[in-house]
Amino acid sequence: MDWTPFSFIVIHLARQIRAGEISFSGVNSTLPMLACLLAKRACDFDFTWINVAGGVEPQPVKVPLSSSDPAIVHGSPAIFANQDFYDLCARGGLDLVFLGCAQIDAEGRTNVSAIGSWENPKVRLPGGGGAAVMLPTAKRVVTWRNDHTPRALVDKLDFITASGHMTALVTPLAVFEREPRAGARFHLARFNPAVTVADIAARTGFSFDATAAKPATPASARELDALAALDAGGRFSAAIDG
Amino acid sequence: MTLVAGLRAASYGIPFQPVAGVHGSELARINGWKTIVDPYGSGSEVYVIPAVHPDIAVIHAAEIDDEGNARVYGSPFWDHPLTRAAKRVLVTAEKRVATDRLREQPELTLVPGFMVEAAAIVPQGAWPGSMHPYYDIDYPAVERYMEDRPGVLESHLADAPEIAAPR
Repeated sequence: MDWTPFSFIVIHLARQIRAGEISFSGVNSTLPMLACLLAKRACDFDFTWINVAGGVEPQPVKVPLSSSDPAIVHGSPAIFANQDFYDLCARGGLDLVFLGCAQIDAEGRTNVSAIGSWENPKVRLPGGGGAAVMLPTAKRVVTWRNDHTPRALVDKLDFITASGHMTALVTPLAVFEREPRAGARFHLARFNPAVTVADIAARTGFSFDATAAKPATPASARELDALAALDAGGRFSAAIDG
Repeated sequence: MTLVAGLRAASYGIPFQPVAGVHGSELARINGWKTIVDPYGSGSEVYVIPAVHPDIAVIHAAEIDDEGNARVYGSPFWDHPLTRAAKRVLVTAEKRVATDRLREQPELTLVPGFMVEAAAIVPQGAWPGSMHPYYDIDYPAVERYMEDRPGVLESHLADAPEIAAPR
């Protein structure tokens, strides 16, 4: 099968989830929400999913468009609200956090504050929503972009909103990974076989090591079945794939 | 999270609140946040966020009685630190209920009446957002509100299901 931007991003976000870990998805994070739901369906291992709506291991009967919809609390045996999950992260108890970015650099630092200068921005962005605390305190942070452009994957951020334990960046074309330590840079880990490493380099604003890069492992039948069920009627993929 | 640290400082009655993280963020520079070194000798350096004292907190509750005791179902999101940090608390609620109902499960009361200055019964008051367990997000209304054209705000306000709803 050919990857679509939607299937590449969601399945590769889900592949970042590990057995036994506590994973968190936040606001404005529909694709990570789908990745957590997909991993629940397509992986043999157990992991704990908590989310910004307060859900802990929920059993949603419908998949909402918004990743903060109370529909993803349905069936939770506990409510773990904002103070609780931020504090859990702060004390080192969140293994994997999905955090968004408008711009990202080679060291996995993110900008969600402003395009242009802070004092005189071209675009004022919504802000970090806790990213400045979560990126350095979560054990691992994974981010994603629906596009792959040198405007978003930059050599130098317009503003550093958060800095810390970013370990993966997923785009429609590539999975970059890095070690969660200061100064470590992204390397290309996986790429969409529809493009070449040179194509990716031409569309990436930062330089990266590609010596370990491999084409993406094809999606399994379970991954595709789970994705199709979550995306019934194309209600999520239409927004990404057009 | 840093905002919540400021709210916590206010609710604890102290001038600032230490917070984890923030290192490597330019938010510290533009906000003038300072660090302190652990006075107990661990050597770690921690950002401290000044107290944030909201003049008024307005929250939407599920149920409220005539004394202002307000019950919330599902996630309380930030209602707890907000109401404790603010100087005054106003509540809108979906339903007016008898105090005896709240006595049955007092742990569901998020704000006790003595903290609440005023309240209004506003069914559908969270629209176009959701209010667990009464109604879901009205996605079409949110999409209409996000359209970039003249008159969007006016037509959003004119929809006002919270005014049309029976109470």
